[in-house]
Amino acid sequence: MIGYINGKEVEFNADDTVLNVAKKTGHFIPTLCEMADIRHVPGTCRVCLVDIQRKNDSHHQIVTSCTTPMEEGMSVLTRTSAVRAKQRLQVEMLLADHNQDCATCIRHGNCELQDVAQFVGLQKTRYHYPHFYLERTQDSSSAAIERDMSKCIRCFRCVTVCREIQGADVLVIKEKGLATEISVRDQLPLGDSDCVSCGQCILVCPVGALAEKDDTEKVIDYLYDPEVVTVFQFAPALRVALGEEFHMAPGANVEGQVITGLKNLGADVVLDTNFTADLVIMEEGTELLNRLGENGCLPMFTSCCPGWVNYAEKNYPELRPHISTTRSPQQCFGVIAKTYLAEKMNVDKKRMRVISIMPCTAKKEEAQRPEFIQDGIPDVDVVLTTREFARLLKREGTKLSELEPSAFDNIYMGEYTGAAAIFGTTGGVMEAALRTVHKKITGLELESIEMEAVRGLEHVREATIDMGEGNPTVRVAVAHSLQGARQVVEAVQNKEADYHFVEVMACPGGCMGGGGQPRSKHAYQSSWQARQAALYNIDREAPVRQSHNNPLIIKLYDDFLGKPCSHKSHDLLHTSYRDRKRIVQHTMKKIWEEIEARE
Amino acid sequence: MAKVIFGAWDGNVIDNRNRKIYEIEEDPAFRDFDEFNPGNPIKAFFGGHGFFIFEKDVDLLDAALQHMERVARESCGKCTPCRVGTQIIKSKLEAMAAGQAAAPALDEIETIAEHIQSTSMCGLGQTATVALLEMMRYFREELLYQLENRNGAVRQPGATYLSAPCIEACPSRVDVPRYIDYIKDGKFTHSLGVILQKYPMAATCGRVCVRFCEMACRRTQVDEAVGIKVLKRFVADHEKYTTNDWFSAYSVPEKKPDDLKVAVIGAGPAGISAAYHLLLKGYPVDVFEARAVPGGMAATGIPEYRLPKEVLRKETGIIETLGGKIFYGRKMGRDFTLKSLYADGYQAVFLGVGTHKGKAMGAIGEDPKLKGYAFGVDLLLKINHDYIDRGIPMELGEKMVVVGGGNVAMDCVRSALRMGVREVHLVYRRSRNEMPADQEEVEGAEKEGVIFHFLTHPTRIISENGRIKGLELIKMELGEPDKSGRRSVTAMQGSEFTLETDAVVPAIGQQVEHGFLLPEDDVDFNKWGMIDVKEDALMTTRKGVFAGGDCVTGPATLIQAMAQGERGAEGIDNYLTHGRIRFNPDLRMSRLVHAIQPMIKKGVSIPIKHEYRVKVRELDPEIRKRIFEEVEEPISVDEAYHEASRCMRCYRVYSVITEQ
Repeated sequence: MIGYINGKEVEFNADDTVLNVAKKTGHFIPTLCEMADIRHVPGTCRVCLVDIQRKNDSHHQIVTSCTTPMEEGMSVLTRTSAVRAKQRLQVEMLLADHNQDCATCIRHGNCELQDVAQFVGLQKTRYHYPHFYLERTQDSSSAAIERDMSKCIRCFRCVTVCREIQGADVLVIKEKGLATEISVRDQLPLGDSDCVSCGQCILVCPVGALAEKDDTEKVIDYLYDPEVVTVFQFAPALRVALGEEFHMAPGANVEGQVITGLKNLGADVVLDTNFTADLVIMEEGTELLNRLGENGCLPMFTSCCPGWVNYAEKNYPELRPHISTTRSPQQCFGVIAKTYLAEKMNVDKKRMRVISIMPCTAKKEEAQRPEFIQDGIPDVDVVLTTREFARLLKREGTKLSELEPSAFDNIYMGEYTGAAAIFGTTGGVMEAALRTVHKKITGLELESIEMEAVRGLEHVREATIDMGEGNPTVRVAVAHSLQGARQVVEAVQNKEADYHFVEVMACPGGCMGGGGQPRSKHAYQSSWQARQAALYNIDREAPVRQSHNNPLIIKLYDDFLGKPCSHKSHDLLHTSYRDRKRIVQHTMKKIWEEIEARE
Repeated sequence: MAKVIFGAWDGNVIDNRNRKIYEIEEDPAFRDFDEFNPGNPIKAFFGGHGFFIFEKDVDLLDAALQHMERVARESCGKCTPCRVGTQIIKSKLEAMAAGQAAAPALDEIETIAEHIQSTSMCGLGQTATVALLEMMRYFREELLYQLENRNGAVRQPGATYLSAPCIEACPSRVDVPRYIDYIKDGKFTHSLGVILQKYPMAATCGRVCVRFCEMACRRTQVDEAVGIKVLKRFVADHEKYTTNDWFSAYSVPEKKPDDLKVAVIGAGPAGISAAYHLLLKGYPVDVFEARAVPGGMAATGIPEYRLPKEVLRKETGIIETLGGKIFYGRKMGRDFTLKSLYADGYQAVFLGVGTHKGKAMGAIGEDPKLKGYAFGVDLLLKINHDYIDRGIPMELGEKMVVVGGGNVAMDCVRSALRMGVREVHLVYRRSRNEMPADQEEVEGAEKEGVIFHFLTHPTRIISENGRIKGLELIKMELGEPDKSGRRSVTAMQGSEFTLETDAVVPAIGQQVEHGFLLPEDDVDFNKWGMIDVKEDALMTTRKGVFAGGDCVTGPATLIQAMAQGERGAEGIDNYLTHGRIRFNPDLRMSRLVHAIQPMIKKGVSIPIKHEYRVKVRELDPEIRKRIFEEVEEPISVDEAYHEASRCMRCYRVYSVITEQ
């Protein structure tokens, strides 16, 4: 089909919108609320205005290009003065009920609303009505996520991500008129709700309405406290994403620069969560073997992902016996640092502060679980997300790309394998575990170590693994995103699937797509592929690629833990889960009162 | 008759400012615009397409402000121009009305008003400022004059009203866009709450409603109507395990004295709805039902495959949760009388007895005593009551002919198939286009293998030894449309033919069984045999006795009966507590909105992306035609969100300025 944009002939398909056609043919139209890669076109910001003239119609109309279908012979003008004036007025109105506290805003420098104000050429704003937004909700109740609805521009991307991508469906819309805001189901504070703290909503928020809870001040306090010994750990997925915050190419591996950067900040010990990822494989792998051997509770679900653990506890508490009792790599790290490492380095654990840098917002909440606090001392003291860590580096004047890389130097916990590295992507934990489980069952290393069957990006992937002659095959599944998780759980509960082992990561893509990772404007997961490729590359280039062959892990068992799933490792490295399902008792009176209040 | 001094509607300007009031022609379009309520003239009317001024002294700024205040309040708050723009205009008009802003502010208001109209997302915003814009465009000097000659703000009496075509089309006036909004917002409980404001049988209505709303839906001008009914079923089914519990701790705002007892006769849609609203208002209510099950025609007349009994039982159970009592197997005229009800202390009675007597065809040899002869309603009752509920076997024969073109006829043919009748014929005297039954019902019957005979009329029943053997039929032809637009039919002489059959089922209409009232009850019937009531309050010729549903309207729809139940309850409330019929400004506004309809230009001018409505999955016709399992399957949560997003939210704000 043929139409015209700014006088130029353009080809398009029957279901294209004007905006699609403009994008495909290189005509820029400013947009704010839409997000093409999750097919989110709410049409609420009304910024992407264009002038259209339908075939055989002399009449011009101004319409939103995102919702208007392109028609045969339609003529579109994107830059008339009327269009530009209307776009400007639209953004001016958006700013009238937006709390313009820009200099202090968490999204400063990365704000899509500021961008759009520039794109439309807005030079001053006339409408200042603080009462339009000052009454709106500020919610700091969650350990992971902050909500400031005075900054919300109602693009509803967070609702779409929570509802359609994650299927958690925690966010609802309340009130009407100026009081309309994104709210939490049953009007709960976010911290008491069914939110799993995955932080995917933050990744899509174009403004500063949704953000991670910022803990950088605490870290600076520890760094500058001479009494404190700081022990840093950073997660597998951090090193392939952090560079994006410093204008480096997506997927650039900045592990060496992170080590240097932390040392420069004054970190006492710099370590890698990868070390305890290897440890988790030893524990979880053994747990699986035990469950397989003694007719235990199967399938076993992984437990590394706190978003998934939250989701299971809040939605499927009956699933608890199926979740591996092995703690996550972050928590294993914390406890090993404050026992083994403290002992080896002769540091009083009361003086030690474990700081983790994670691609994840839910890890902040995980570190505060009562199960992981002994005698008032948390195993992990502070959790920074990738974005906060970038902010911390910037606050200290660090230019990451200019740093000389350095290597880990700790002789107790400073080594990791390729198996640990791929924890950062969906399928990685499964692949790492199978490498070790195969060895334990067959006595042989896997021949084809890269297991294509569990790689990929489909929400649910299944594989059957041959465990050598005479041994039963192992049926596994890998799920990422909570939609994927629900699909697998329901298949298991309805007895439609019969797995032995299931890996679940709450975030789409796994940790590399975590809610604490750098965000991109107007795109949800634009750096996925590069980050994933980089992780697989780290594995490929690693001298050791199986957790059970990590020499420092072997030493840890020899010197300290004994053997996997020993009594000691049970005390230190395993945990239990709670039933956190919420029962809501609605009453007609309350529902009607709320409806009437809105009338 | 109200005379327009000036105004504009959809760009048509009326300007009689220079004429004497007696020189202005009377326009029958404004017949209904004289008074708002008795003694209270309408001075100005504002709507989504324009405004009319009927008296010279109307304060235009204040009138526009009141209209804009309501719009700003009703904005869904999602799109920018409507959420923010209406607020900016509101505050600027406030300043002007208070004499604190000068003429240049008008230009700014005009720019924003035009912006709201042309760039808002839904119907509310797109029509919110039309009246204001027309006023500024065509009568700016009036505004300027008033602006320069004012002493502070004036607040004129008036009323505002929010509605949409789907709401106006619904007999119960369910706030359809609002319950769809709540689905979009992710609050299914509140969506159902909006429906439950009107009647308790939401899941029932979501299955069998005839959907006047969807016929009025403006989305039909783009692609297909929004699946309003299927969304209603979705929210009702989604909450089905808890809905009844919502009512368990319901405390009425104002409890009525125990001696203000009300008797409701009939636990059908009208009676249940009346009882529900009376209970919510705090009256003690007893319901008397002749049969052993609740639901009336919805239970006996609608087959299990369209409306499972369980759904109906659960929803009528709300009456008992609210503290009402339902007495089954208690038939008026047999087990008690109107007189005995009064003797038992009831202060008001609602008659919702329905129309359960079948109408004969008038064919030669027709005799209800013939073996194989059954009225449609009786057949359905037997199947639902005896066969499905109690498992009593039934012998219906090999072949059946059903006569009629309405939903009862459809229910009969489709049920007969499910009962194992091998060959089922449907005879209808007009063509398929004239069939009053739901299109989906007709298609369902066709798919399941019913043999249709259109333009065919029964003339004679052939019987032997008291048993039906066949039915003689004659072909009909369509004539010219009569005054009501319906085409007449005439028989084609000599076209007679005979169908062999074991059973003949006339389903051509029903009547009220009159035996339940005695002459001394003073409840009159009209010439059609229905109970005579006063339109507004549904009171019969006997004081304190009200009636509604099919026994008043004649065989109609579930939604009409439920609407009548609600109105009857309001009539009883007025009678028992207030002593008079209170003025309902919303109903009055609704009448004005209906009066204004012919002036509204139809059509959706902006191109809108086609998004076809959710396809409801059905059981395979080959399987379902043998069983009574529900045919339509529920839609998923994702489908509900998508279907809800198709609603164009055609809300319009209307307002009047009145004398008092």
